[in-house]
Amino acid sequence: MASGLAWSSAAKIASREMRSSRGKFLFVLLSVAIGVAALSGVRGFSSSFRATLLNRARSIMAGDLAARTFQQLTPSQQEGLDAIARTGVEITPVTEVLSMASSPKSMNPVLVSLKAVDPELYPFYGTVDLAPASSLQTALADGQVAVGDDLLLRLGLNVGDELKVGNRNFRIAATVVNEPDRLSGNFEAGPRVLMSRDSLEETGLIAPGSHALQRFLFKLPPPPDGRAVSDTAVADLKTRLETLLPDAQLTDYRETNPALTRGLDMATSLLSLMSLVALVLGAVGVAMAMRAHLQQRLDSIAIMKSLGARSGQIMKIYLLQTMLLGVAGGLLGVLFGVGVQLAFPVVLGKLINVPTEFHIQMRAVFVGLGAGVLTTLLFTLPPLLDIRGVRPILILRRAVEENDDPFIAAVWKKITKNAAQILATALILAGLAVIATMLSDSATVGKVFSAGLVAVLLVLLAASAGVLWGLKFFLNRTRLHLPSSLRHGLANLYRPGNPSAALLAALGMGVMQIMTVYLVQRSVVSELHISSAPNLPNVFLVDIANTEIDGMRKLLKAQPGVTAEPELLPVVSARIDAVDGVAAADAKLKNFPRRLLRSISLTWADAAPPGTKVVDGAWWNADERKPVLAISQQSADRLGVKVGSTITFEAQDQQFTPTIVALTKADGQHAYGRAEFTLNHAALKGLPVIWSGGVHVKPAEVSQFQRALYVAYPTVTVINVAQALETVRAVVIQITYVIQFLAAFSIFAGVVILASSIAGTKYRRIREVVVLKTLGATRGRIATIFSIEFAVLGLVAGVVGIGFACVNVWVLSHRVFNVAFQMQWAWCAAGLLGTAALTVVTGWTASHRILGQKPLEVLREE
Amino acid sequence: MIAPMIVVDKLRKSIRNGARTVDILKGLDFAIPKGQFAAIMGASGSGKSTLLGLIAGLDTPTSGTVSLNGTAISYLPEDKLAQVRGKTIGFVFQSYQLIPTLTALENVLLPHELNAEGDGLPRAKQLLTSVGLGDRMGHYPVQLSGGEQQRVALARAFILRPPIVLADEPTGNLDTTNGAHVLELLLDLNRVEGTTLVLVTHDPVLAGYADRRIVLRDGLIITDEMNAERRAFDAASAVSI
Repeated sequence: MASGLAWSSAAKIASREMRSSRGKFLFVLLSVAIGVAALSGVRGFSSSFRATLLNRARSIMAGDLAARTFQQLTPSQQEGLDAIARTGVEITPVTEVLSMASSPKSMNPVLVSLKAVDPELYPFYGTVDLAPASSLQTALADGQVAVGDDLLLRLGLNVGDELKVGNRNFRIAATVVNEPDRLSGNFEAGPRVLMSRDSLEETGLIAPGSHALQRFLFKLPPPPDGRAVSDTAVADLKTRLETLLPDAQLTDYRETNPALTRGLDMATSLLSLMSLVALVLGAVGVAMAMRAHLQQRLDSIAIMKSLGARSGQIMKIYLLQTMLLGVAGGLLGVLFGVGVQLAFPVVLGKLINVPTEFHIQMRAVFVGLGAGVLTTLLFTLPPLLDIRGVRPILILRRAVEENDDPFIAAVWKKITKNAAQILATALILAGLAVIATMLSDSATVGKVFSAGLVAVLLVLLAASAGVLWGLKFFLNRTRLHLPSSLRHGLANLYRPGNPSAALLAALGMGVMQIMTVYLVQRSVVSELHISSAPNLPNVFLVDIANTEIDGMRKLLKAQPGVTAEPELLPVVSARIDAVDGVAAADAKLKNFPRRLLRSISLTWADAAPPGTKVVDGAWWNADERKPVLAISQQSADRLGVKVGSTITFEAQDQQFTPTIVALTKADGQHAYGRAEFTLNHAALKGLPVIWSGGVHVKPAEVSQFQRALYVAYPTVTVINVAQALETVRAVVIQITYVIQFLAAFSIFAGVVILASSIAGTKYRRIREVVVLKTLGATRGRIATIFSIEFAVLGLVAGVVGIGFACVNVWVLSHRVFNVAFQMQWAWCAAGLLGTAALTVVTGWTASHRILGQKPLEVLREE
Repeated sequence: MIAPMIVVDKLRKSIRNGARTVDILKGLDFAIPKGQFAAIMGASGSGKSTLLGLIAGLDTPTSGTVSLNGTAISYLPEDKLAQVRGKTIGFVFQSYQLIPTLTALENVLLPHELNAEGDGLPRAKQLLTSVGLGDRMGHYPVQLSGGEQQRVALARAFILRPPIVLADEPTGNLDTTNGAHVLELLLDLNRVEGTTLVLVTHDPVLAGYADRRIVLRDGLIITDEMNAERRAFDAASAVSI
């Protein structure tokens, strides 16, 4: 910028201007502040909330990562784990083994699921709840064990009695009410017996070479700055372990439960989207405020030019002002944002029972401040560049020269004249895309968002130009036939100097953002409600004989605690002999314990069962005769198969080779979700079947249900995961509350910003009101004229904004959130009317003072 | 012969209004020597203000040139023009054109801050005092009467001691008393500072104070004459001194 004006002099002039019209500057300042507050508040709170959620997810796994293996570690693998431990990662093994347990009182042994842990380390996250309450160290010390209450029921024992496992008698110190990693372990076996690793050795059950399930839990060292362990650190460790333990099944804390994983993924994407929306809405507010501000300075700029000021000098003055406003507004916004971050947990505290893990996210504060200043500067570029075009002759003659060049020549002239502005706009979009990508935790959200922003801006500008042209055309033909208020109101929209086009673009953009957030959160919340529905199975039944199944159905129906139709599925035990013709022993597997190939559960279903979604291929018809197979996507990846591949199974010395016709994804909440291999009925006909099932029982009545089932079918194993599922459900519900709350906050902030943008145009109306009043117009008439103008603005912006919001929601639903898209006509109509009402009401409110003023007062102020 | 301070050569200005081209100035030629007080007269729409704007370099002619102090300014780039304006011309407008967000003192100081080095404050204060506003320096334009605002504009026009002062109907918005006071101050400052003064007015009384009268009609000069009364008045003043 060529300029002889010293920065200090420019600063002096800039500050004088600001000092003398504090009211107007306060308005700009508040616009910046609200934008930054929305950004830093939403971002700060969502990152705190996400950290809290992830901590909960960790407690469902009891660690950051788990490796499941049936093989003894080789010396080199042990060395590898030791090396990992030396980097500060804590490791504890959890051994799970099936065994028989009996009581000296009744000699009938029961198959139990033994779990041996090191009570000093286990669990890394969450707690084991015992009854009577005690610490795990105390309960498992000195020949003591803790057991599931179903074991007490089956053996007729009480806490304090003795239990014989293997070679040793143990004292039952407590019952296990809840263990954090209940959903991660192998629970399709029998009642829980929890003991220390020393105790397990004393039982003599683990001989060298025995194939007990070993689960290694890993806990990464927390970063020194007090933040939670990052996803990247966990992913790095996972990669390292994949190489070190190729036969182990590795799961990280995000994969403990599909509902939780999905909830977390959706929350991450949606919160990230909200941050971006807050950013753009803030930017829109800033842009509109600065535009209005500079528009009002046109006369001053012309005067300064006539006094010898060069464009560069004036730009320097207003650039300084902008920066000052950006920084001051940003700081104020950060303060608001911190207030918002502190207020959210208090407001939400009762609703979601979030522990007090919230602290001010300094990163969010700096990002908010940086983004605020940057967007202020970016969005003020075009009006600043406009300064170059202000002709000093304005002070002598306000004639507007019309252009009647041929269309192409006129467009070309406009482009060349506004080359710098066009370049600045490109810079703004690029800058926003960079900020969006930096802010967005989801790259797809960032990309969709930036592309959408460019498209919507272009369409909005084109739509504004088209609508304004259409209005002019319409008015030219109907001029004297329309009522004068309507004529005047419509004509106001395209009078020279009216900011209609900019306001339309700003409003349309804001409405699009707000409606996108609202519609996406509606879809996401309804999807999360389905996956955390209260009637999902929470008690699983294993080993129901074929002869017992009818009786079991009747019994379940008669139970008062059962609140939903039970899901029962047939299970055929089999082994995998070959994958795509390659013998099982030679098949290339990816993190799939080879031993598991020898004990596979198959089931059949004529249609995709509840909670199962086909992600590739298609389900078969009920009368399909050839053997066909649907396999879970995860198993397909691990076995290296796809649609069209074959797997050779063997059951009861009978070999059959179904072709894979569908890959599925289960929500993990239904009984069928646990069967990874589903075939057509014909393929499994004649093979011995046992049944499994899932049923929802009111959590308080599970004990009573277990007793009733035990009395009727003592051989059926009942797995109670009610408590664990309640925890998951609670977290998912919390996610939905927070999503709704933050969406409401974003929408509120957006509406405030839009309202302030509309209100910012009031200064431009003052002269018009004065002229109208001088000519005898009543307040009512002026209000009618403005209402028509504002309502048309609101409706046009609403139609374009909502149209784009629907496109956004469609893209985001399919590509990011993977939820079904449904056109929400009622909400779109409400949004449209709401936009029109907002523009009219805020326009009115802002103009109220002007309407009430005496013309002379205003003229004198002007 | 005194070198001309302002030379207007074949000056034309047209604007396009829809399909129509309106010729505002249709080829003007004249020169104003250094120190002369010239009044440009004419009815509304005769092209007076356009001519003043072109002399000041506030607008670009359709053809022809304006030279100030030997430099042709009409086709200079905008920033160069701004420099010329800042260093060569002082302005007084009919509607004052003070910056509403600056105080009287700050308004007067502004050209100095934009175009000069050093401390302009003492001169700004001295000028404001000389136009009788010594006690109103901290007031904003809205707190001043029309006459006071125009006196601030006068002080601002002279702060950089410009060789040319252009005044566009400086008393047009004022009542007779205030108008006379402002005119008196303008002429005083013009005499003290030795500037070339170009005054645009449609008021024959005001033009009566000028050395020369250039009368426009429909974009053409219809009269360009020296003011005999004024010369006689000056001669009488010189004798009485």
